[in-house]
Amino acid sequence: MPPSSTIQNSFCHRIPSNWKLGLTLTVIVLASLIPLEHWPAIGILMVIVSIALCFANVTVGYLIRRLALFLPMLLVFGLSLPLSQLDNSAAWAWTVALWLRCTVSFLAGLWMIHVLPFPELLATLLRWRCPTLLVAMLSFMYRYIFILWDELARLRHARDARDFGGGSLAMRWMGNAQLIGLLLLRAMERAERTHHAMLARGWDGSVKFLGDDPRPAQ
Amino acid sequence: MTMNPTSTALELRHLTFRYPNGRIALDDVSFCIAAGERVAVVGPSGAGKSTLLMHLNGLLPAPSVVFDEDARVFVQSLGVTKSRLREIRRQIGFLFQDPDDQLFCPTVREDVAFGPLNLGLTQAEVLNRVDRSLIAVGLPEHGPRNPAQLSTGERKRVCLAGVLACEPKMLVLDEPTSNLDPRARRHLLQILKEFSGTQIIATHDLDFAYDLCQRVLVLDAGKVQADGPAGQLMSNADLMDRHGLEVPWRLIQRPMTS
Repeated sequence: MPPSSTIQNSFCHRIPSNWKLGLTLTVIVLASLIPLEHWPAIGILMVIVSIALCFANVTVGYLIRRLALFLPMLLVFGLSLPLSQLDNSAAWAWTVALWLRCTVSFLAGLWMIHVLPFPELLATLLRWRCPTLLVAMLSFMYRYIFILWDELARLRHARDARDFGGGSLAMRWMGNAQLIGLLLLRAMERAERTHHAMLARGWDGSVKFLGDDPRPAQ
Repeated sequence: MTMNPTSTALELRHLTFRYPNGRIALDDVSFCIAAGERVAVVGPSGAGKSTLLMHLNGLLPAPSVVFDEDARVFVQSLGVTKSRLREIRRQIGFLFQDPDDQLFCPTVREDVAFGPLNLGLTQAEVLNRVDRSLIAVGLPEHGPRNPAQLSTGERKRVCLAGVLACEPKMLVLDEPTSNLDPRARRHLLQILKEFSGTQIIATHDLDFAYDLCQRVLVLDAGKVQADGPAGQLMSNADLMDRHGLEVPWRLIQRPMTS
């Protein structure tokens, strides 16, 4: 979720949602298709996305926190090829291309989730005739990710209240594994109860969406 | 309130249910509820209250009953059978104990619209029902909000709006006041008092049950242990104590204030 410290009514926020999604996908496709020998074009894309992030009032702290999660994974993944093929000079070019393309795409994605609220994204996907089942899955994911996060926080608090900060690193990892297992079980139980709630309101297996409200906004 | 005590809204005939581990949850449960009646189902934890409610619209057991003669639950004289589940669920609005089980859409508006959309209504009618229901529960401005950002009381009211939007004849409520603060509880009580249809409420909140319901069913160990007027049963301290309950505070206070 975007941080509350950023201004939520920037120029980018006012762009129609179709455009926001379209622009993001265009940047990602371009970043993937531009050949490496035209690397300045990828650099230009990076500059454009950075400017867009500035216009969307994305704070540097927010960017750093997100990049800190993403870049280590990208770094390790990118190094896997050149380190396994030390005599292949093209492998390094492949790695650099991967790093650049993924970083541009990741920044474009960050821009989109910052300026396009998730319910609007779902509505846009429906307008674009995206399969309703896929949109429904995204919708459930968005709703239940908050609930599972809260559930995890409660489980962690319950554990922390009783482990008194002790135990070896191995024991703590074992505790974390148990926590994740418990979360999975609770998620399954909740899924069953949610299924009951859907049936109780007449769900027949087909996914229906309300779509856009045609009435003028008040 | 449009009450017609002569017509039966709900009837249970010798309903018995065992969990897969063999434990009996409901043991030969039979009762009738008249249209417009408000009935509280009270009892200790594990008495079978939630299991009983789940049977009322065919959520339990797996919908396998095909013929009327095999049915144990009758809604408006119709047996709860596999072929009638859609019709039965159209008549019964079910409010679940945990609002997060019931709020599965990314916005309040879409969640309230879920039931009416499944009824096959037009978009205009769905939107009208959404607006009306949100006004009825006192949250007219909450349509675009994410349910995760609401308080428990607000979430509970949104759940109720989702149920009311289907315009059911009967409300089935499982622990409606759990986790509610006194103000939210009062608000919920007011909304339910304004609903004119039949209500069946499983609750541990005996004051709430006493305030809302004319009749009480005491359920313990899967059996109906007592069935009668709320005031009469709930003031019986022996009965309440025997089944892990207490005389409502309101009934204890009354002689002191009079």
